[in-house]
Amino acid sequence: MSGGNPLLMPKLGLTMTEGLLAEWRVSPGTTVRPGDVLFVVETEKIATEIEATAEGRIETLLVESGKTVPVGSPVALWTGPPPGGDATESAAATAPEPAPDVVPESRAAGRPDGRTVATPLARRIARQSGIDLSTVRGSGPRGRIKAADVEAVQTSPAPAVRASVPTSVRQPTNVERIVADRLSLSKRTIPHFYVLADADVTELEHVRAELNADRTGTRITVNHFIIAATAAALRAYPDFACRWTDAGIESLPVGAVGIAVDTPRGLMVPVLADAGARGIESIADAAGDLVTRAREGRLTPDHMGGAAVSISNVGMTGASMLVPIVDPDQSAILGAGAIRSVFRPDAEGRPVLRREVGLVLSCDHRVFDGMRAARFLDAVVSALNHPVRSIRTPDPGRG
Amino acid sequence: MTEIRYLKAVNTALSDAMDADPSVVLMGEDVGEAGGPFGASRGLLERFGPSRVLDGPISEAALAGAAVGAAMSGLRPVVEIMFMDFTTLVMDAMVNQAAKVRFMFGGQTSVPMVLRTPHGGGLGAGPQHSQCLEAWFAHVPGLKVVCPSDPASAYGLLRAAIADPDPVVFVENKALYAMKGEIADPPAPFAIGRAAIRRSGTDVTIVAYGAAVHTAGTAADRLAERGVSAEVVDLLSLQPWDEATVLASLSRTHRLVIVHEAVEAFGVGAEIAARMAQVGFDELDGPIMRVGAPFMPVPFSKGLEAAYMPSVDAVLQAVDKTLE
Amino acid sequence: MRDRELTERRLDEAAEITALLRDLLIVRRAEERLSAMFADGEVPGFIHLSIGQEAVSVGVMRALRVEDTLASTHRGHGHAIAKGMPLEGFFSELLAKNEGLCRGRGGSMHVADMSVGMLGANGIVGAGLSIALGSALAHKTLGRNAVAVAFFGDGALAEGLVHECMNLAALWKLPLLFVCENNGWGEFRPTSQQLAFALGDLASAYRIPHRIVDGNDVVAVAEAAEAVVRSIRKGEGPAVLECMTVRVRGHFEGDAQKYRDQAELDAMTERDPIRVVCERLAACGVNDTDLDGLTREVDAVIEAAVAAARRGTDPDPVAARHDVYTDGAAA
Ligand SMILES: Cc1ncc(C[n+]2csc(CCOP(=O)(O)OP(=O)(O)O)c2C)c(N)n1
Ligand SMILES: [Mg+2]
Repeated sequence: MSGGNPLLMPKLGLTMTEGLLAEWRVSPGTTVRPGDVLFVVETEKIATEIEATAEGRIETLLVESGKTVPVGSPVALWTGPPPGGDATESAAATAPEPAPDVVPESRAAGRPDGRTVATPLARRIARQSGIDLSTVRGSGPRGRIKAADVEAVQTSPAPAVRASVPTSVRQPTNVERIVADRLSLSKRTIPHFYVLADADVTELEHVRAELNADRTGTRITVNHFIIAATAAALRAYPDFACRWTDAGIESLPVGAVGIAVDTPRGLMVPVLADAGARGIESIADAAGDLVTRAREGRLTPDHMGGAAVSISNVGMTGASMLVPIVDPDQSAILGAGAIRSVFRPDAEGRPVLRREVGLVLSCDHRVFDGMRAARFLDAVVSALNHPVRSIRTPDPGRG
Repeated sequence: MTEIRYLKAVNTALSDAMDADPSVVLMGEDVGEAGGPFGASRGLLERFGPSRVLDGPISEAALAGAAVGAAMSGLRPVVEIMFMDFTTLVMDAMVNQAAKVRFMFGGQTSVPMVLRTPHGGGLGAGPQHSQCLEAWFAHVPGLKVVCPSDPASAYGLLRAAIADPDPVVFVENKALYAMKGEIADPPAPFAIGRAAIRRSGTDVTIVAYGAAVHTAGTAADRLAERGVSAEVVDLLSLQPWDEATVLASLSRTHRLVIVHEAVEAFGVGAEIAARMAQVGFDELDGPIMRVGAPFMPVPFSKGLEAAYMPSVDAVLQAVDKTLE
Repeated sequence: MRDRELTERRLDEAAEITALLRDLLIVRRAEERLSAMFADGEVPGFIHLSIGQEAVSVGVMRALRVEDTLASTHRGHGHAIAKGMPLEGFFSELLAKNEGLCRGRGGSMHVADMSVGMLGANGIVGAGLSIALGSALAHKTLGRNAVAVAFFGDGALAEGLVHECMNLAALWKLPLLFVCENNGWGEFRPTSQQLAFALGDLASAYRIPHRIVDGNDVVAVAEAAEAVVRSIRKGEGPAVLECMTVRVRGHFEGDAQKYRDQAELDAMTERDPIRVVCERLAACGVNDTDLDGLTREVDAVIEAAVAAARRGTDPDPVAARHDVYTDGAAA
């Protein structure tokens, strides 16, 4: 048996007589510093992590984990100071704060799990000034990082890598922050792929103009037809209404279509839950209401979620195509650009002037493959080619 | 400014309220001829007559219940319960009746009544005449609870409580009755729900109410000697309480200690701590500390009681802990 | 009822008794309607019906004016309707609608209408006594010539608050009428097993005049109530009116009453207040009372109220939170 001073089973409460050594966190040869957890003791009340109070190397474990031993009996030998030794450093080596029957406070600094212990204010300051807390030394109890510790780092001269151009930093709005987090998550976790197509909307434009001529409600837009076309494609391929979740591939309501809306607070994607059950005029009214609600901040949870596919349309600009990022709760998104006039060959090969819109379907490769996505996009294009079909309220019997 | 005692401030507020509004009546044990068990209603029977100052028998439940019915029928009763410990006997009237009438009758009527009662130990009154039970009432939707700390707030809050359309529990402190303090001339009402910053500071916020405000003040003096600048917030109202003022103070000092004479566990301090941990989380630069009585009945012996009452030292220790 | 002028009008005895019969029928048919709606699951929560005890509500109310107040019990529908609470507001409340007089916050056990002096049914046995006591104190202090009435059951007599209130009412000589509806039961046990005293003895201990009447005879209740209320209004202090009556239904709807004798249940129809009042009419020489016609007429009024209540809307949680305090601050 190698030498060394004993580490004892500590007394953790007035009434504690013995303790269960639940778990060793060190093994012979481990070098520990103050604050490192040595082992876990369970009493009838709680589990407590016992920390090293001085530096040392563990030599021998005397008690196996799972054994119960009386308070004060040796559980290991180490090179650190002896118990109750007169070395001032190690005076408290045996038991952390044997307060009568009081639950020990969480003690965390220098934890083996790598969690940084900092006050909420210190965290906030660090976040705002871009300081990595793991680089800050805490001056609080057990190494807790306090605001002053972060401020000290903040005021110390910064490395001269910053450009000298004056910049300004604005706090993102809540919506902006949420969108940023969600889209980052999406780009990190969803393997995106894209299928592209041009849809002929020549006829659609005529139909639209006619409908709007004798209509008093929300004006029908090309986007409303794209919503209707997407709903029609979902009706044709109901198994497209699904998404990847940790639990598996989840089926979603077939009739739901999300609509990306640019609002003063940032991007929102409310869902038209029953797009599949509506004719074009009804879609226009419902989508108009959703957009107004989104802009006025009056969306409720009922207006969100449940769709597998969304639509993002930048057609009001000159952009010809948009390659969007799939929402992390969905599996596909259709980007639509502006309508352009193009010459296309007719049956005889003569150029005819047509109106077209460029579509990009971004998809989650975990749920769809290229063929399925292409067929789906085809169905969207075909629905846009035949705008009259969108006018009718779809027959629910036809799936 | 004139200087008067806390008890006199209560007395003056009662008398001014009765002068101002003929529907204000007093009821309670010995509030009439005897002038109140502690003298709070001295002289009022003589001034306002027996139809407005009602000496009641030892029937706390019926007096409080009658106050509810009277308040629903046009009076503004002020009931005195001799010791807060005896409010156990008025719980149905306060909790099931007064607090709920407005709500459960769809807003048809309010219950403009006040229940005055003194809490607090330190006088050797023992386990059944010393308790601070205000948290019970603050837990009941429909009741308001106020607890003045000095003569000016005693006057101001009592006038506000009597004028309030809803039931208010007005908690006095026996140990403060003799306290002298400045009061404006003419004295002014205080708004219910507003805290007062008794002393400004930058390093730690000490929130207290009632007699504990003075404990906190003494602790702040001592801290100042050590170069620690403490801000003392006097809650004054416990339900509703002035969350905005406490949060604003916490946002300046980033450390919070809450002091009250009532038992610490499940007390007013627990609510404040929980709210601040929620709404003020990012402001905190140390743990929120509470200082209150230990979880035991108020003992009788002088030594035991002294150990029981939250002390200046206990406040200092708590401040040290959050400044660590 | 609401047509309080009726009382003032000097109708002949038979017409007056017919009016009482009509009031009895309104309470009876309203509660029978509720019973059916409860069984159908349309009335949420739980309800205590006063079927068989209507003569107490109707008879006592005959002696009251609109400015008189009353505090009631868990079995308070009859008190509310007889005091003049509009049926539509009543049914809307029982159906938990926003249009209910308590905006769907109180329900059966908390029906109240301040505009007719009905200070509320009460879920706490005995609590109404102290509320009526306070109301009587307010009447007296503010110099109103009004009376407060505390309705309570015989079971409540075991509550300490009853004793405190009797003492105080007598001590302060308040215009308070204690009306005990003695139906012999407190929940599921006879009150003979719960009380060691008789109410008359208790009242005399507090030196309060006590009168006992057949609580199923609305004419007897009305006459007795008129007499005691007259003396209370004169400033002679409180009085106790003990109405011996019968609880026909279970303690609450759905209580199968396994604990009651069949003989007792059978005997109840003999003493049915509606039957008793018809006998009264016969004694005045009126043998052609069109009970069916009257019932149809009353039912039409009730059906209209039920239909209106059913059209009501759900209460708004936000408005509810704003009614915890008068200043509207959400708790
Ligand atoms: C303080 C209180 N205790 C118990 C109950 C439960 N409870 C409701 S009604 C009732 C019986 C009351 O009997 P009684 O007063 O005779 O009225 P009845 O039901 O016969 O009309 C009881 C015990 C209650 N609501 N309140
Ligand atoms: Mg009974």
